[in-house]
Amino acid sequence: MKLLWLNLLSCNGNVHSFLNYPHIEKFLEDFSFIYHPILETSYSLQDIVSQNIDCDILLLDGTLEDGHTKADVDIKTIIEKYGIKAKKIITVGTCASFGGIFLNDEDTKYGLHFRQKLEHNRYKKLKNKTINISGCPIHPEILVNTLYSIKKEYELKLDQYLRPKEFYATTVHNGCTRNEYFEYKIDNHKFGNLEGCMFYDHGCQAPYTNGSCNKILWNEVNSKTRVGHPCMGCTEPTFPKNNLFETKTNMGIPQYLPLGVPKRAYLSLAGVAKAFKIERFEKKLMDN
Amino acid sequence: MIELIEKIEGEAKLNFSFKNKKIDFVDIEFASSRHIENILKGKNPLDALVINPRICGICGHAHLIATVQALENCYENIEISQKAKIVRELTLNFEIIQNHFKWIYLTLFPLLGFKQNIKGATYPSQLMSKAIATVGGQYPHNSYAIVGGIVSEISSTDLIKMENYLDEVIKFYQDTVINANVDDFLVCENIEKILSATGDLPKILNTLKNQKIAKEGKSFDRFISFGDNSYFKSGRGVKTKINHNINVKYVNEHPNQNSYAKNVKFKNYYYEVGALSRAMINKTPLIKDSHRRYQDSIFSRILARICEIPQLLIHSKKIISQIDLQEPSYIKPTIDISNIKGTGVGIVEAARGSLIHKVSINENTIKDYQIITPTQWNLSNGNKDDLGISQKAMVGLEDTQLAQIVFKSFDVCSVCTTH
Amino acid sequence: MKTKKELKKEIIIQAALELFSKKGFYTTTIPDIAKSLKMSVGNMYNYFKSKDILAKEILKHISHYLGEELKNINEKDITTKEKTKQIVTVYFQTANLKPEMIDYFLRVFLSNREVFKEGCEGMICVNDFVTEIMIYFEDGVKNGELRDQDFFSAFGLFMGYLGGMVFLKGEDILPNGLDTYIDDISNNIYKALKV
Repeated sequence: MKLLWLNLLSCNGNVHSFLNYPHIEKFLEDFSFIYHPILETSYSLQDIVSQNIDCDILLLDGTLEDGHTKADVDIKTIIEKYGIKAKKIITVGTCASFGGIFLNDEDTKYGLHFRQKLEHNRYKKLKNKTINISGCPIHPEILVNTLYSIKKEYELKLDQYLRPKEFYATTVHNGCTRNEYFEYKIDNHKFGNLEGCMFYDHGCQAPYTNGSCNKILWNEVNSKTRVGHPCMGCTEPTFPKNNLFETKTNMGIPQYLPLGVPKRAYLSLAGVAKAFKIERFEKKLMDN
Repeated sequence: MIELIEKIEGEAKLNFSFKNKKIDFVDIEFASSRHIENILKGKNPLDALVINPRICGICGHAHLIATVQALENCYENIEISQKAKIVRELTLNFEIIQNHFKWIYLTLFPLLGFKQNIKGATYPSQLMSKAIATVGGQYPHNSYAIVGGIVSEISSTDLIKMENYLDEVIKFYQDTVINANVDDFLVCENIEKILSATGDLPKILNTLKNQKIAKEGKSFDRFISFGDNSYFKSGRGVKTKINHNINVKYVNEHPNQNSYAKNVKFKNYYYEVGALSRAMINKTPLIKDSHRRYQDSIFSRILARICEIPQLLIHSKKIISQIDLQEPSYIKPTIDISNIKGTGVGIVEAARGSLIHKVSINENTIKDYQIITPTQWNLSNGNKDDLGISQKAMVGLEDTQLAQIVFKSFDVCSVCTTH
Repeated sequence: MKTKKELKKEIIIQAALELFSKKGFYTTTIPDIAKSLKMSVGNMYNYFKSKDILAKEILKHISHYLGEELKNINEKDITTKEKTKQIVTVYFQTANLKPEMIDYFLRVFLSNREVFKEGCEGMICVNDFVTEIMIYFEDGVKNGELRDQDFFSAFGLFMGYLGGMVFLKGEDILPNGLDTYIDDISNNIYKALKV
């Protein structure tokens, strides 16, 4: 299958995350890039924008901006040209999916079909063949497995933000090694410690962020929350929010509750859990 | 004649002017920016730790460390444990090493007529990414360094893992880049020995000689480096005359007419940054030998970069053994950053050279943020009578293909340059 | 739809509350309660295995009753100021219509903590009620009417105040009925908590 990876307003983080795919040499045998931001390709950027080259999947990486050009050609022209001929379009990363970190207050920057949570129709004709792989950066396994699914014509169920449910139906919270502190509502987390859950005080968005970070580990070894780094919600249309290292509370109650959990259910559970003091969770794991 | 240069973490345009069939001047233009410095204004100071790694996908970690240092520098007094400092230096080294390998096998190889070596680029990079993820959670894009230290608690197993990753990369370097024991290589002072060895490094250097371009790409022989840590020393020099007394207050940025990249000077002169500068300032013997013959040509520049890999690999192993696990990873600042009013500077050596961050905070808000990246130094777009470093290196060449090689020998990062 | 068993339990609870209020918690026995309902003691034990269990169930029952009332108020599309007044009103109405309920909370629960030590740790037996108060506070902060502050500071102010008034009423110190104080008390609470 022929892939065209086109970078727009990007940091290239997705490209380098992709290069961390463990079986990349096999991948490059099964797919070919007609253009890629760093890998050698038979076509140059100039060729891509001036000619009409065969392309099966268009990968867009980075925020779209009105009037942005690549090799002096407006990106709208390029996206439409290849978008129409491609079988599928993948927005690689949160920037291309939702606008992401480079959004400004004006409406001149956006994701391919969404500007944060709002859908727009600038590329309406391409919507039914688009798959959003959000993340900042993307997880290489999610991108690669999606590409293989397309190649092998497996059906991919998508959520309301066009993300494959297989990877985005779970929350990042699933599989976090600090789960016991969350389950029993132990809100004594301090940075630099093995113990504790960052949801209560330190801004962790994992319980309401869609993703697989604690299911498919990062770099095959770890995840942010496992080392004690709060989840920043980078797969969501709202990324980035403000005051990312703090949990917003309203009179002690977290503003954002775990995904789909009704407020009364959460508070009742919290009330019960907090009535009991469980020694093990108050102590350091590596006690002398 | 305008050439679009691609695959430099973005693109750039080089507008060549010729006189008597030789390049007379090159105008360097970067066509887009994400305006990160504007995005940062008005944000909560700690949010910069999340935004700034996204300036760049290959050196975002350097931006993280520079950011946290800049924020900490806003304090009059703040305590960071030695353990946290060492771990930060380690992960920074891991990223630099990854950069160097990718540059050799994805950028340099095709320039010299060889196919890209995917394994050569990705195998060691994946190992170094794992090493970063061991303490940082993931790579790319983590914000594990926060004001006061690092978020993660380190165990002895984490140290063992990082050391093992380093050992694997050392073995790969010995098998692939130069077939010699890395310890012997590090004390080698004679480039003839390198040229007669086997491996990709000798192959690259001999190719430069065979194509008769080893002497090309000389610039002003002016070097500067600002990031101090346990390995790199700050300083500046002209040829081999090095002065360690420099102050970042003499660094000035100037906007560029046609380009989103700003020019930068130190005391009104353009300087080169990067591995060659660091090696000249550190007086690395092998690089000094290269400089004796080739001055600051692409030969020296390329050699310096490839040599930095084992230097950092061995040095990283050394500082891992200096970590005292009993120390805390994080020390909560006595004053919360929301109550700090001040300006701070954070400087690190990133793969391509000195990275400078300057931040002003007040009332829990970023009032101003200035970022000067290494590529801005090397690619400053001066005018005919005040040429920038890479411009000087390209002027006088007959062939734009060779000019591209010279240009890319500085390892351009387009996204950083325009941020 | 409540089962017959659940309805019977409620009848027993009501009878127990009245007896506790009239005779006192410690002097009232399970046989006393059974007799007042013309039930056999053996049958009583089918519903509540001991007096301590009955005591805890009563607490949950009261919490649930008040919790339901508060939930109705919380779900209304009205201002926090208006909600404050309605909560005070419901609390005082309950104190008037079912004095034995509030009485139980003040005199039995608060004064005989050892009875409730096991099985009613923390606030779990008053969970329904406390949850609604939390929601009232949270909504108030979210819509910008109430000041964001520590939950317990706000909770103590609200509940301490209401409890205090009901206590005074119970001691026959208040010259007028509780209803006459609703406006002033609601205003005081709202003013103390608002932004």
